[in-house]
Formats: sequence, C-alpha cells, structure tokens
Amino acid sequence: MAPKKQKEGNKSRANLAEDEALDWLKPRTLLKPDDQEEVPEADLEEEVGRVLTTINPQWVADEVAYHYGQGRFVLKPKPTFGKAYPLYIYQGTAIRKDSEEAKAQIAAGYGMVGFDDAGPKRAKVKKSAAEEEEEEEPEPEPAAPAEEAKAEEDAVQEEEKPAAPEEVEAPVDEAAVGEETAVAEEGGEEAAPEEKAGEEPLIEEVITIKPRVKKLANQFNFCERAALTYNNPRRSVDTQTIPPPRANYGSTCLQSIIFDFYQEDYARKMKEKEDEKPKRLRKKAAKHAKSAQQIHDEQLAQRIREAWTILERLVNQNIYDDIAQDYRYWDDPSDEFREGMGSLLPLWKFQFEPMRSHAVCEVQWNPHYQDLFAVAYGSLDFTQQQKNGCLCLFSIKNPAYPEYSVITESPIICLDVYHETPYLICVGRYDGNVCVYNAQLTLESSYQYKSDSVRDKHSNIVWEIRWGARLIDGEASFFSISGDGRVVQWAVMPGELQATTIITLQSSVPPIPGPDGTLLTVNSCGSCICFHPEKADIFMVGTEDGMIHTCSLKYNRNYVRSVQGHHMPVYRIHYNYFNNSIYASCSGDWRVKIWEDGRDEPLFMFELGSPVGDVKWAPYSSTVFAACTADGKVYVYDLNVNKYRPICVQAVVSKKTKKLTRIDFNARLPVLVCGDTKGTSHVVKLSPNLRVMCKPPKKAQGVDQRTLQIMKLDKLLSLVRDPPFQTGVVDEKFDDD
Amino acid sequence: MAEEGAAATGGATAGEKVIHTYPLIRHSDMSEEMRTEAMELSVTACEKFSQNNELAARMVKESMDKKFGPAFHVVVGESYGFEITYECTTICYMYFGGNQAICIWKCS
Repeated sequence: MAPKKQKEGNKSRANLAEDEALDWLKPRTLLKPDDQEEVPEADLEEEVGRVLTTINPQWVADEVAYHYGQGRFVLKPKPTFGKAYPLYIYQGTAIRKDSEEAKAQIAAGYGMVGFDDAGPKRAKVKKSAAEEEEEEEPEPEPAAPAEEAKAEEDAVQEEEKPAAPEEVEAPVDEAAVGEETAVAEEGGEEAAPEEKAGEEPLIEEVITIKPRVKKLANQFNFCERAALTYNNPRRSVDTQTIPPPRANYGSTCLQSIIFDFYQEDYARKMKEKEDEKPKRLRKKAAKHAKSAQQIHDEQLAQRIREAWTILERLVNQNIYDDIAQDYRYWDDPSDEFREGMGSLLPLWKFQFEPMRSHAVCEVQWNPHYQDLFAVAYGSLDFTQQQKNGCLCLFSIKNPAYPEYSVITESPIICLDVYHETPYLICVGRYDGNVCVYNAQLTLESSYQYKSDSVRDKHSNIVWEIRWGARLIDGEASFFSISGDGRVVQWAVMPGELQATTIITLQSSVPPIPGPDGTLLTVNSCGSCICFHPEKADIFMVGTEDGMIHTCSLKYNRNYVRSVQGHHMPVYRIHYNYFNNSIYASCSGDWRVKIWEDGRDEPLFMFELGSPVGDVKWAPYSSTVFAACTADGKVYVYDLNVNKYRPICVQAVVSKKTKKLTRIDFNARLPVLVCGDTKGTSHVVKLSPNLRVMCKPPKKAQGVDQRTLQIMKLDKLLSLVRDPPFQTGVVDEKFDDD
Repeated sequence: MAEEGAAATGGATAGEKVIHTYPLIRHSDMSEEMRTEAMELSVTACEKFSQNNELAARMVKESMDKKFGPAFHVVVGESYGFEITYECTTICYMYFGGNQAICIWKCS
C-alpha cells in the first residue's frame, strides 16, 4: 500500500477505516458465506442449551471382526470392565480356589491346610463375622478373576494387550478390594456362601489356633529353590583321664602295738626336749645325770683321790719335815742378843710349773684356814704381757703343788678371799674383767661368775678388788678399782654379776681437748682401794698420781677428802687393825707413810730406797708393819721400838733377778708370805723380836692383848702429835648416820 | 611323722606305766592342711562318740567327704587288721586315746 501523506496529524478512531495498516483494530464485519442458509432473525435469538453426558459417542457397543477361520463376521467378546478404558494391566498369578486348576493342585496335596511351624503364635483374636467375611472374600476373588483370565488366555491366541482389558489386576488385597468386589461380585458371591459355611465353625472357636492355609503355587509361576550351607560332618571323640595313683597299705591294730608306739614316741619327744636345752644347762645337767656305773666310778675315784692326798702329804711332810718343825716351833734364839732387831727365817718357796714366768701379783692368806693362801699369777711387765694368768691356792702342808689352780685367759692382777665363804675368791684381771671363782667346784669348771666382757667390764686393768658388805637383798658384793678411774660395785646375782659404778675418779688436770675437739675430762687412774674396817660406806682410794682420796658410797661425785700423799702411784693403803683412823700407804716413790685420818700430813714417813710394792700392818701388833720393795727386801718396822728405822731388813730374793711384789701376814701364825716377779711365793717366819707382845701392867692383869695394843698405839701417837683436837673427817661428817 | 601334743599325758597307772592319750600319727602321706584337719576331726569324733565307733566313723567320713571330696573311707576301732588300696596323698592312720586306731583313706 502506498503510504498516504499524513498531512493531517491527529488521527481519530473514526478514521481508522481509512487506515489500512491497522487492520486488526478495525471492527470486523460479519462475513457471510455465500451458501449460508438464510435463517430468520427470530431463530437466531433462540437460546440453545448444551449438556455434558457420559455417553461416549465413540464407544462401540458391539464390535465385529471378520473371523477368517469361520469365514464370517464374529462378534468380539465384550470387555469385562465395560466402558472403562484400562490404563494399566498387570497379570497376576493367583487362581481361583474352586477352579479346576486349583482343585487339581489341592488334590495333589499342595493347598493342604497346615499348621505353621511357628505354632500357637498364630492364634487370632476373636473377630466379628463381618471382618471375617471381608478377609475371606478377597482371597477367593483374585482366584476367580485370575481363573477367568487364564481361561481367556488359553482361549484367545492373539496377544492384543491394549485390546485385552479383561486382565485381572494384582492380587494385592488392599488395592483390589474395592474393584474386585465390584467386578468379581458375580464370582465372589458364588464363593462367599461356600466360605461362609466353612467359616462358621471357625468363627465360633476363634480363640483356638487358626491354621494358616498354604497358598497354592502352580508350577509355572512358582518354582521352589532351596539351598543349604555346608555343615561339617560330626564326629565323636572320647577319652578317659588317668585315674589318681593308688597304693596299698596294710597294718594291724592291736592294743599292744598302740602302747609300744606311744612309748617310743614319748621317749623320742623327751630326747628332743633334751637337745633343745641350752648347752651350758645341759652340761650341768649332764654332770649331775649319772648312771649308776658312773656314780660308782666317781666314788671310787674320790676315795682314791683322798688316799693320794694323804699320801702326798705324808711324803711332803717327810721331805720338809725339818722346815715344818721350824715353821711351828723354832724361834730364833739369837734375837735375844740383837736388841730389838729381828730376822726372817725363810721356810718354803711355792712355785707353780706353768706359771714360772709369771709374776705374783697378789698373795693373801685364807681367813679360815691358816695354812692356805691364795696366789694370783699375772704380769706386771707391760712390755711383755703374758697371755694367761692363774689363780692358785697353796697349802703349806703341800709345798709341791697347789691345792687348787685354775688358769685364766688373762693375767690376774688382784684377788680377794671372801671372809664369809672362804671358798669364794674374786679376781680382777688384766683385761678389765672381774671374776668370782668357787674353790669348791671341781677344777674342770671355770669361773662361777664373770663380768660381761662387753658391757660391764673395766676398760683398764683392775688394780684392786675387795669384798664388801652384803647388799640389802642379801647378795654378796665386791668393789673393784681400775686404771680407767672407776670404782665399780659388783653384786653377785644368780647367774651374773651386776655392776654399779660407785664413783669416777676425777683428776685435777683441766679438761683436755679430745680427738674431735670436745673437751674431755681426764680420769685419774685408781690403783688401790681400802675399806674402813667399821664403817662400810667409807673407803680410801689411791691413784696413780699419788693422791689419796677418802670417798663414800653415798657420794658419787665428790671426794670426802683428798690428800696428796705421794708423787708416784699409791700401791697400797692399809688400815691399822687396832686403830681405825690410822692407815699406812706405800707408793713407787720409795716411801711408806703412816697417816691419821683427818690430817693432811703423815704421822710417819719412811724412805726405803726403792719402789715399795706393798705395806701391811701386823695383825698381832698395833705398831708393827712390814713392807716389801722392788730390790727384793722385806722391811719390818715396829714403831714402838724404833720410830725411824726398821727393826728388820732382809733380802728374801736376789735383787738382780727378782723383785718383791706383794706381802701378807698370816692371821694366826708369825708367818709372812711374799710373792716375787718370777712366780715364786716365799714363806718366811718372823723372829720373836718382830712380834713383841704387850705385857699387861701390873695393876690390871686381866686386860686382853687388844686393848693393850690399842693403848700402846695411843701412847705412841700422843708422843708424836697432839691429841686430835678435832675428830677425824670420818667421824665428823657421818656421826648422825 | 610329726607329732602334735594336743593333750598332756594321761595319769600314771600302776608302777611305771604311763598311758599317753594324745593323737599320734602312725602313717600318713596327706598334705599338712588335710592332715591337721583329719586329726582334729577324728579327735572330736572319738571324744564325742566314745561309745559308738560307727557314729564316730560316720561323722569323720561325712566331714571329710564334704571338705575334700567324695569316697572317703574311715575305720575306727581298737583291734583289727587291714589291707587297703588308697589314692596317693590321702591316707592317715593314727592312734588316739591310748587304745583306739583310726584309719582314713580315699578311694573312689
């Protein structure tokens, strides 16, 4: 179209008819075809209604098809579902129960009513009849349509799936219930009454076990396939354990056998008990337990021994006959001419073979037997110590051999014979031990008591030992003093010795530093001890530095009194038998001093020219005392006769080889025993001048010797010094005890 | 053969005869524990049933069965001879009371 010139700007709709470009906006005019029927207007206004119906105009009621076999048109069978159009068809496998196929299967034994293997678990709850029916119906219903389908399948050869809408649906109960009831009503109604009849008895007994009906399975749709895992074959194995071992035993049981066995057993037990006892007790017990034969033997031996002793004495007496006579009866007649001087007559020498090289460290007469004296063999030579020592008891009647001897492990330095029981001798040893020997025991036995070597012994040589008073409980006790500065009291307990340190000797030396720097107090070494004859608490101690201390048992720290007596060790302190405040001391500084208790200065002092080993007062005279020195001499003094010079000086042993160590007066006889460093004890007799007795004054004839002696001494003392203006220390302090 | 002196010796009869009544093992190869058990048991039983040996034996046997297993045999008497087969480590032959002998053994 040639575009028109648009001179006129504004266009209106009215002018659209003129515009050919906007054809679509133009109102259409009604175009009439040419051959359209002419209808009057009135008919055109008429309203015509339209209705929807279910009538399918295209549905074919009867379809006909040409059957070539028959040669004619045959009516096609009507579909079972009528006018419905199948959307989905599934071929099931169930068959009707009452179909021939089913019946054939039942006859073959497939559809048997059987109990489930699970048993009573399938008991069903009571249900209403209606429910029962409903449940039952679906079962036969799929069978029925399936049967029909099968029949039709067999009949119809061609497979026209879209044209076979008569197929039965799946036998699923839930899905098919609705349709099947509608479709298979025809078949269902046939079966239902049958079922009902059969169900009736079942409905009534609902509580009982309802058997499960096995579903029929035809061989075309169903096949059974089973598999089994391999089970290992089983085998039996048996065995038997070895029975426990057995043994045989036989015996007879009779009264006699039982009794014998008991006796044996008892004897064995006793023996075992014996073996368990400690050795020493057993030894003692063994000693006592003797058979008859042994006792007889011992008695015999005892008598033989007695006979021999007598024989020995006889022989000795024969040998020493003249000496024995002298010992008793001879008095030196030359004394009358000697003006107060005396002499010592040597009688016997006592020696003990094994102890030849030992020194005599102590001699003491026995208080009970006047012919018996004890000798302690030890060693005073510190450069050559002996390994052992000996304690011997000699009797004058037998100068050849000691009556009793016992060898000890270490040298014996001191001894003391107990006054009460003269067979008990206590000894102090070089190694610091103290022992008590019982002379009554046989010689084989060792000491009766011994101090404990570990705890209780002295740590130094025991210099002197003295028996003391009995203790409160009645036990015997003795005191020992040793170089370690201790005075120890020993109590004789049954079986042991109990030690108590009485006092430790302090020395005046100031404390010296020890190896570890601490200051150690120095103990002075004690060398002799002597008890006051009357007061058992008081005793005197002499030390190695020459001090003489008076001590008391009650005070264990301080001395009652101290006197610097000597410059060398004090070897002996001895109280006068007649005056308890007079005592003598001797020491290695060659001096013998006579003291009075309470005075710091000695009453008498004698210088003997060599170290004095021992000093002893005479038991028969208050003014006679004897001392022995290292040059082998014995000095005898009588203060009544000569206050300054000895009345007897005699060399008992030769000066060169031996020294005299100890001396002792016999209590009853005018005999002296002295020991030397070569193991020999010499017994000497005092000549008459040495044992001058007092004559009682004419006025009082009946006064006894003792008082006379005391008087003599007092007279002597009064000459020497003023009468004591103050009582002695001893009396002063302890008067009130 | 260990002895256990449970009781003191009995009183002495005429002269030197001393009757011992303590339990005394004559032959035993039991373990220590079993042996003491057996001894105490038999002592108790014999003292309890001093008149009746059968009851005493029964008591011992039942106790031993309970404690150490079945098939124990017990003989209590004063005069008999025997020959037995026993399982090893389970025999105890003992005297008690001066005149009684008790034999315990196990054999199933």
